[in-house]
Amino acid sequence: MISTHRMTRAAYLESLEVFRGFIKERCAAVPGVTDEILYDMQLAVDEACTNIISHGYAGMDPGSIILDLNIDSDKITISLTDFGHAFEPSSTPIPDVDAPIEERELGGFGLFFIQQSMDEIDYQVTEDGNKMILTKFLRKLDGG
Amino acid sequence: MKTEVQQENNTTIVKVTGSVDALTAADLSKVLTTQITDGRTNLVVDLTGVEFMSSAGLRTLLGAVKEARSNGGDLRIISTNPGVDKVLKMSGFNNIAKVFPSQAEAVSSFGS
Repeated sequence: MISTHRMTRAAYLESLEVFRGFIKERCAAVPGVTDEILYDMQLAVDEACTNIISHGYAGMDPGSIILDLNIDSDKITISLTDFGHAFEPSSTPIPDVDAPIEERELGGFGLFFIQQSMDEIDYQVTEDGNKMILTKFLRKLDGG
Repeated sequence: MKTEVQQENNTTIVKVTGSVDALTAADLSKVLTTQITDGRTNLVVDLTGVEFMSSAGLRTLLGAVKEARSNGGDLRIISTNPGVDKVLKMSGFNNIAKVFPSQAEAVSSFGS
């Protein structure tokens, strides 16, 4: 592991920009991180935090979001921890991106964008909070 | 996020700069709804100054496209940022609304 970083912020929409800025600040100069990879990671973190703020802490006092960033030579792992309501990613419907506008739902893209932007997604409900672990590989794996 | 509204021929251009996320999308939505309510339904949203846009921004744009069309107009996009382009493409937005690389092309697409 090359380096680890942590940022904790209150679950407010104002924190979204701070988390995106943190990803940029820590990852932009990492070898193998292109502008596209950087945007993908910022997008995934933004969408995951928006879900935590809007749904995870719904009906509760906003708690915190902890972002742990692990930078390796071949991958970047981002873990987001919250202490709100857990959710089941597999039960979230996938939006129909080919539907005509009349049939389009306006929302539902958050988790879809996370799935499209990251290489691996894991979600765990633990005694230490709900954890979404997002991985981005910096090199193509052999045989991929 | 900041917005600036300009009029060119029969088209209203809403130039957006900064980030369109879950915090700021509501402000963009208000600006676009105001234009449509006031009868300016031929809209071009210029996203070339947008450094980041999430699904919240996309939801706002989809809603405004529907609103503009139901009022007899349309909403078209100018985008040159690869990240913003990717968000538009991932969601299939570019199959629903026209996306142009320049203001001249977007404005002229409405005719004079």
